[in-house]
Amino acid sequence: MKKSSASFYEKQSFWRKSLNARTALLYLFPSVLLFIVFVFYPMFRTIYLSFFLTDQHGSAALFVGLENYAYILESQAFRNSIKATVLFVLYTVPAGVILALFLALIANEKLKGIGFFRTIYSSTMGISVAASSVVWLFLFHPSIGMFNRLLSLVNLPEVQWLLDPDWALLSVSISTIWLNTGFSFLILLGGLQNIDGYLYESAKIDGAGYWYQLRRITIPMLSPTLFFIITISLINAFQSFGQIDILTKGGPSQATNLIVYSIYREAFVNYQFGTASAQAVFLFLCILIVTIFQFKFGERKVHYQ
Amino acid sequence: MKKNVRLLFIFSVIFSMMLLAACSNNESKPEPEPSKKNSEEKETGESPSRMEINFWHAMSGAGQEALDRIVADFNSSQEKYTVNAEFQGTYEESLTKLRSVGGTKDAPAITQVFEVGTKFMIDSGYIEPMQSFIDKDNYDLSQLEENILNYYRVDGKLYSMPFNSSTPVMIYNKDAFKEAGLDPEKPPQTFNEVKAAAEKLTKPGEQYGFSMLTYGWFFEQLVATQGGLYVNKENGRADDATEAEFNGEEGLRVFNFLNDMNKAGTLGNYGTNWDDIRAAFQTGKVAMYMDSSAGVAAAVNNSPFEVGVAFIPYPDEVDRQGVAIGGASLWMSKGIAKEEQEAAWEFMKYLTTPEVQAKWHIGTGYFAINPAAYNEDIVKAEWEKYPQLKVTVDQLQQTKPSVATQGALISVFPESRQQIVTALENLYQGADPQEVLDQAAEGTNRAIEIANKTKK
Amino acid sequence: MSFPRKIVFYFLLLFSAFLLFFPVLYAFMISFMTGGEIMQGKFFPQTFTLDNYFRVFERLPLMKYLMNSFVVSTGVMIGQLIVCSMSAYAFVFIPFKGRDFIFFLFISTMMIPWEATMIPNFFTIQKLDWTNTYQGLTVPFFALAFGTFLLRQHFKTIPKELFEASQIAGLSRFAFFWRVILPVSKTSLVTLGAYGFLTTWNMYLWPLLVTNNDQVRTVQIGLKQLQSQEVATEWGVVMAGVIVVIIPTLLLLFIGQKQLQKGLTQGALK
Repeated sequence: MKKSSASFYEKQSFWRKSLNARTALLYLFPSVLLFIVFVFYPMFRTIYLSFFLTDQHGSAALFVGLENYAYILESQAFRNSIKATVLFVLYTVPAGVILALFLALIANEKLKGIGFFRTIYSSTMGISVAASSVVWLFLFHPSIGMFNRLLSLVNLPEVQWLLDPDWALLSVSISTIWLNTGFSFLILLGGLQNIDGYLYESAKIDGAGYWYQLRRITIPMLSPTLFFIITISLINAFQSFGQIDILTKGGPSQATNLIVYSIYREAFVNYQFGTASAQAVFLFLCILIVTIFQFKFGERKVHYQ
Repeated sequence: MKKNVRLLFIFSVIFSMMLLAACSNNESKPEPEPSKKNSEEKETGESPSRMEINFWHAMSGAGQEALDRIVADFNSSQEKYTVNAEFQGTYEESLTKLRSVGGTKDAPAITQVFEVGTKFMIDSGYIEPMQSFIDKDNYDLSQLEENILNYYRVDGKLYSMPFNSSTPVMIYNKDAFKEAGLDPEKPPQTFNEVKAAAEKLTKPGEQYGFSMLTYGWFFEQLVATQGGLYVNKENGRADDATEAEFNGEEGLRVFNFLNDMNKAGTLGNYGTNWDDIRAAFQTGKVAMYMDSSAGVAAAVNNSPFEVGVAFIPYPDEVDRQGVAIGGASLWMSKGIAKEEQEAAWEFMKYLTTPEVQAKWHIGTGYFAINPAAYNEDIVKAEWEKYPQLKVTVDQLQQTKPSVATQGALISVFPESRQQIVTALENLYQGADPQEVLDQAAEGTNRAIEIANKTKK
Repeated sequence: MSFPRKIVFYFLLLFSAFLLFFPVLYAFMISFMTGGEIMQGKFFPQTFTLDNYFRVFERLPLMKYLMNSFVVSTGVMIGQLIVCSMSAYAFVFIPFKGRDFIFFLFISTMMIPWEATMIPNFFTIQKLDWTNTYQGLTVPFFALAFGTFLLRQHFKTIPKELFEASQIAGLSRFAFFWRVILPVSKTSLVTLGAYGFLTTWNMYLWPLLVTNNDQVRTVQIGLKQLQSQEVATEWGVVMAGVIVVIIPTLLLLFIGQKQLQKGLTQGALK
């Protein structure tokens, strides 16, 4: 060792230092390769196509610069899609998380037969969007659907669940919340069970009531889990597609034409990859911004153990 | 240490091999792929030289059942060819897939494409016009229904073989007619008559007089029956259309007709789903509605009351021109082996025989493209059971051929239909008829413009 | 817990369970009805007829679809476990330059809408000649940012001392990964596995695009084939299909519920 010259030592150390990087690369290789082929390449292709008009075969035909972006931002239909998407996120995320939290709280009690209830509450996770949307289509049916029959039983006026633009988005949101409940419930229940029981015991000794415990112990201790589930729910809400396709196809009056659905329609039905791509890039930026905000401001409130 | 790095390396390599495995060859595929092209060598069993072709379709539900039966019959009726009927999702999804293989040897020999994809298919360069086989084989086209052929005939050339064809009809509840003091044997014919009848049939909160599926097809039909054009350049049949014309007086009449009833509270809106509007009718929530001729038998079967079928209404100030057909046709691929094309042609000829068409008509409610099928015993028996079916055929056969009733040809039709759906939905929300129509026309114009700009 | 409180909780539990499970129950009931009964909007069928189920199995090669779904879902599950655990291991136990940046890149893939990348991916599969193969249905889903994230969060909770001890014992990195890390992360792996299995089982559009015939098709496509467009749909048959399709996943969920919930939480913590 002593004999080795400075430069040789340096070289070796570089070789040595990069050993970690090289090993890491070996472990990361499959993921990186797959991401490049199936995520980054198509994403760059999407960005590329967003500057073109495409022909009937879907290949770039005419360079138009930012015209596609200008067009979608100006178009009433796309602005409407943005509005619908924002509303949809607002309808589904808070309500969905609160509902799942409520279920997790009552299912966290030590009662007989609680396992049965936990299973039921998590069941929607095992039901596909395609299958459940077909069932909801029936529940919402204007004339033979269960909801309207119940309404008329108690002498309330019937509601055009999926046909009235004022109701449609709400109806789709209800089915989406239902669909996502199972997953959120499972995660939140797990979070609750990880809270140290000791904390509750000392609270009890202090004579704290249920609500006090909930506010002062449960919610703060649960905040990392809540943060996680809110992030995932946000991303999911932005990307909801299957239920729209089956329940409303974006109608009535575009009320449920979320950006993702609008992308699908531009690409699959109209075969306008240019505008579809521009919309996709726009959606990506939206999700990115929301996620960054979420991490920047949301995480501050998170209480880590 | 070294040994383990090697282990990891092998791990990674095996994985990458898995990734790249099938780049090289199909042989390593884990599942037996049905041999598409080289079936002759590989075919096992009794008939060694069967030509195998693929047939992509978008028929689900009852349509798929009937289709599968016909294909099975064809395969057992002769020994030279085997047709594989393969479901490819909705028409749109199927077309997306076709776009990726169209014109190559991987394309299916036969593809079913919806009527509004006709112009796209002709321009695509993927297909062999049907006419070349008709001429070569001296096939007698006159045995097929003229009014159906007209749709798929462009510049005197038949491009595709009509397959599932339907027209719109007006279906009504005879019992409700009696109850409202209307003559159930004399359904209303004109817009004003329909409006008046709808007024009488409406029972607030219980039953609407009239309804129409929110679907562009019905609007097109109500324009066509007035002789109105959907787009310029003779409905796109003389040359590539450049502008929408459906926002003219004919289209406005239709929108006013719907708007008047909507304002009067006699129009029920049941959205864009076929099954929803049918359920509404069958449960007595709607007394008259527009449906496809393919839905007649089911409506009669499932309704607990007597069902009547009528021609679609027309405005009082014009003469009835008739209807354009809807549905889909079969296209033969170009760029595949000659033998495959021949097999496809044989199958299409088989499809058009009266016996097969009779089965198809009964199984699905779609028209028989070969009218001789209506003389088959099974059809006669069916018509006895459902006399309403005859009305649908009468309406088609009484149609006066013109560019209006031939139907429009534009490549961006699916998009345009979507524009109409939005326009109708906005109309039902109280928007101005002319305004929403103009918006739809504007959207269609932009789509046409882009399509023409990028066309090579 | 006091008796009245118990009553309140049981009431809440039962009520929510009923509401949540109602759609499934409803589908179950409809699957036994005849066309007429459905149109009248009944809740209980007059007689429990199995006709719809017979029809479903007669109409479609449902057993084959179920088998394919099973193979594809299992394939994706195994692939995800291997790929994600390897990358998560690198992110936690191998310090290297640019680690945070690469991790951020990974996470950013979560935000790219799948619909936006689907059509280019479809062309890629076509070029690879992977249509109608299990590879085409599975490989694109092997790398999963969510999975890497979840496992990384769990690996982070493993004490660093364990790593040091293993080095003293002369264990290589890979041996440490294989013999120490994976076994102690069983719950997280089970979770990720179940998550991957369920989401793959539920895919529709992608399997439809990359398959042309029944050879490798999955069961969700079968469900779509039961509904028609212009011709009337037989809802009883569709609902029977729905029930057949959801039973395997529900069973899996019921069996693995506890493990699943344990593992999912670990990803959320810290």
